[in-house]
Amino acid sequence: MLKITNVHKKYNDNEVLKGVDINVAKGDVVVILGPSGSGKTTLLRCINFLDHADQGEMEFDEYHLQMHSATADEVRKIRQKTAFVFQNYNLFQNKTVLENVTAGLIIGRNIEKNEAVDLALKALAKVGLSDRVNFYPSQLSGGQQQRVGIARAIAVQPDVILFDEPTSALDPELISEVLGIIKQLAEEGTTMIIVTHEMKFAADVATHVIFMADGNIVEEGRPKDIFQSPKEERTRNFLRRVLPQVEYNI
Amino acid sequence: MDINYQFLIKTFYLVLAAVPTTLNITAVSLLIAMPLAFYLAVIRLRPGKYIQIIISGYITFVRGTPIVLQILIIYSILPSFLNSVAKGFALEVNVFDWNPIIYAYIVFSLNTTALLCEVFRSALASINKGQLEAALCAGMTTVQAYRHIIVPQALVVAMPNICNITVKLIKGTSLAFLMTVKDMTAVAKIAASYGYNYIEAYMDVFAGYVIVCSVVQVAFAFAERHVGKFRFIK
Amino acid sequence: MRPFNPQFILDVIPNLLPFLWVTLSVVLGTVFFGSLLGFVLARAKLSQKPLYCWLADGYIYIIRCTPSIVLLFIVFYGLPKFCLEVFDMDINGYEKIFFVLVTFTLLFAAPISEVMRSAYEAIDHGQYEAAVSIGLTPWQAFYHIILPQATVVALPNFGNSVIELMKEGSLAYTIGLVDLIGKGQLIISQNYGAYALETYLPLAFIYLLLTLGVEKSFLRLEHAFSRQKKAA
Repeated sequence: MLKITNVHKKYNDNEVLKGVDINVAKGDVVVILGPSGSGKTTLLRCINFLDHADQGEMEFDEYHLQMHSATADEVRKIRQKTAFVFQNYNLFQNKTVLENVTAGLIIGRNIEKNEAVDLALKALAKVGLSDRVNFYPSQLSGGQQQRVGIARAIAVQPDVILFDEPTSALDPELISEVLGIIKQLAEEGTTMIIVTHEMKFAADVATHVIFMADGNIVEEGRPKDIFQSPKEERTRNFLRRVLPQVEYNI
Repeated sequence: MDINYQFLIKTFYLVLAAVPTTLNITAVSLLIAMPLAFYLAVIRLRPGKYIQIIISGYITFVRGTPIVLQILIIYSILPSFLNSVAKGFALEVNVFDWNPIIYAYIVFSLNTTALLCEVFRSALASINKGQLEAALCAGMTTVQAYRHIIVPQALVVAMPNICNITVKLIKGTSLAFLMTVKDMTAVAKIAASYGYNYIEAYMDVFAGYVIVCSVVQVAFAFAERHVGKFRFIK
Repeated sequence: MRPFNPQFILDVIPNLLPFLWVTLSVVLGTVFFGSLLGFVLARAKLSQKPLYCWLADGYIYIIRCTPSIVLLFIVFYGLPKFCLEVFDMDINGYEKIFFVLVTFTLLFAAPISEVMRSAYEAIDHGQYEAAVSIGLTPWQAFYHIILPQATVVALPNFGNSVIELMKEGSLAYTIGLVDLIGKGQLIISQNYGAYALETYLPLAFIYLLLTLGVEKSFLRLEHAFSRQKKAA
């Protein structure tokens, strides 16, 4: 469904992505792991053209485009097929919870208001926030805000949802409420690409795990293989550092 | 101190009758300046181009010179300039018959544009970049993102400064009499000159400005509360 | 339309420049007296007594709504009459600059008191408590500990207020003070209204240099102060 090949990206002289390929089929839950600065977030942002790759090809269903020369129209079409959940939520501060969720439908996709509100209410019910529809983001906790962020993403019924470290800005006690929702989405067969540092969660939900370091994909495969018998030294080192207590027994 | 109370009251009504002129200049200047300033602010937020130098030169000039000089300069060249343009096109208009309020519109909107541009620029820059990104990810175009997400938030940030600039503009219109506009100051000046009742006349103008500015500030306070309703208590 | 005469600009500048000191005296005099009055106002606003607070607030509010030129006219026409009838003092013959200074002192004090107050409030109260705890008197604590820190905070806004004052001060010509603009107007009327633009442009240029100069000086001061702070 979505295939990107040979993505390169430089910031000034710093090469962040050095030729990355990803292939996502419908229903996949791809989890990208790796130390900070490995290019995970940049890769995700390039898929949605929040950052523009210097080189790379994208095949997304019927669209086939060069990532460095995508036109505004192509970019918009890709964005209409995707949704993005941000690390720091980025809820629209001037809109209520309901308006945050309907904005992408009414403004971005010209869907009629009644229908949009229906879809939004369903999405909000799914994340358990039906009682907060008329609140403003500043009145919600971080966990609630991120759940609205997820509702905003699922309401537009995208082909794939991109998650950029959805829980790293949250207090520890709020993390599980967000991860629980993502897990539920995974069980329903939602296609997702997730960048995260939550290892147990990654092992739980992923159908495919990618380990990145220094702008390259070091290793990828089924979660069982990556977590239990990583082939590469760098993957082993990384897992040993982040999973000292679990000893790969997930 | 002997004050001619009868004159004081009589002139106060005259001054009040000139309040619409003051508000007229203020409103028209703001209506011209707002979109212009917004457009310039958006240009200024984009990286390096020659037009940047021109815009920042214009802003530096407006902010670095007294408004009275700006009035004197515009009023000394514009009428005869427009007249020769009209003659050049063989138009049957006499520029010198025009209502001088036109020149007031021009001076004050040019002045206000520069001040507002800086306010808009910093307000737009203060909105987190993530808001634009989230809007684009929700499938909006850049224009839609600005219209529905960025501008409403920037407006709230800019509100107190817009209020300050409006009050400054209202006070600035007290110089419109230099262009022979019949505003509060001009009306009072004329009334005073018959019997040398300058103190009474200017007390009236003083009261007039305090009233107008107070009303405007109250209006802004209401507007601020309205557009800022999303900035709720935590 | 009469052709523009660039040569006149060069000729007129030497005639204008001697009056630069009048403009500058107005600014410097106002900054001095206005800061004193501003200090009193700031003090009143920070006082525990609601009456003082209320009076200072009222004064600042009224000044915020008053166009400079209106206050200038009121002072120019009203003050001599007031002094004559209340104090039996004839000040009609006083220099124009006196009325200009009175007006702009009244005007400048309001914003500058706000600058002072907010700078004072920006300094952590712990600084004062620490100073008093080691045996300084309240005044010493203010003078040696609070004031130096508050000055650094106040500098940028103080600079802006001075620039505003300098621009507003250009209105002094309307009551007949011969400063830069006053002299410019004289030159124009000597030429029966001709060469107006050629006179106003160099004036604008001089003002531009003055405001940019003030802006740069305050940036330098701020820089010097913050370096001191870092070194300490």
